[in-house]
Amino acid sequence: MTARPRARGGPARTAAGLGRRPGKEPGRPQHRDPGLQPERTVLSWGRTLLLFATVSAVFLRWLPHYGGWMVVLAFLAASTAAGIYLSQRHRYGRQSRGVSAGVLEPDAVAVLATTAATCVLGGLGVWVVLG
Amino acid sequence: MTEESGRGRLASRLFPDGEEPDPRFTLANERTFLAWIRTSLAFLAGGIALEAFAVPIFDELWRRVFAVVLIGVGGLISLGAASRWIRVERSMRRRRALPVPLIVPLLSFSCGAAMVVVVLAILL
Repeated sequence: MTARPRARGGPARTAAGLGRRPGKEPGRPQHRDPGLQPERTVLSWGRTLLLFATVSAVFLRWLPHYGGWMVVLAFLAASTAAGIYLSQRHRYGRQSRGVSAGVLEPDAVAVLATTAATCVLGGLGVWVVLG
Repeated sequence: MTEESGRGRLASRLFPDGEEPDPRFTLANERTFLAWIRTSLAFLAGGIALEAFAVPIFDELWRRVFAVVLIGVGGLISLGAASRWIRVERSMRRRRALPVPLIVPLLSFSCGAAMVVVVLAILL
């Protein structure tokens, strides 16, 4: 993991051009778990971010019925989806390193932030339905 | 992030004792939490859509009551998911049996009650 990134065959391409961070060699697996736990977990986060995006669209769909507050709810759900999306690459690297090392700290920040976002959405949702 | 050089502050506060479990179990616990969060989001979106969508089926009061109940169940499931994630992680660190999931009967009861309400609304 210390070698500079090299392109697999073909003309040499820079790491920046491929959008890869230096220190990660293309083509080399970041972990050797045959159960693909980091992949499965990152995909599970991906399904969750898709659902946050869908929920955001559902909120916008009912904008005519509820009025402007739905924009706030839709924005919150979309921001949560964006936050998950932007942290996916970091998450995969962290989990791959953890699985390789045999020690992985539970991601309390992500879990509690997702729970908080869901609860705030729920609270605002009740308020909008009653208001 | 200090995941390699030491333990993060939040994780150290939540999980102060025990030994590090197999990382694969930690990841499985995280995926289970995410499955519950998705369930919770479905209830939340369902509640919002019910109040706006089910206009001709229920009168206004009951529509609001059902919408608030659905959103409330979604909130309870998400809180239960986080609490279960913490308790499972602690049990694994202490090499104990995993806790019984209290959100499973909540989900079953909510789905059953929703079915009954829909059937009654169609029949009456």
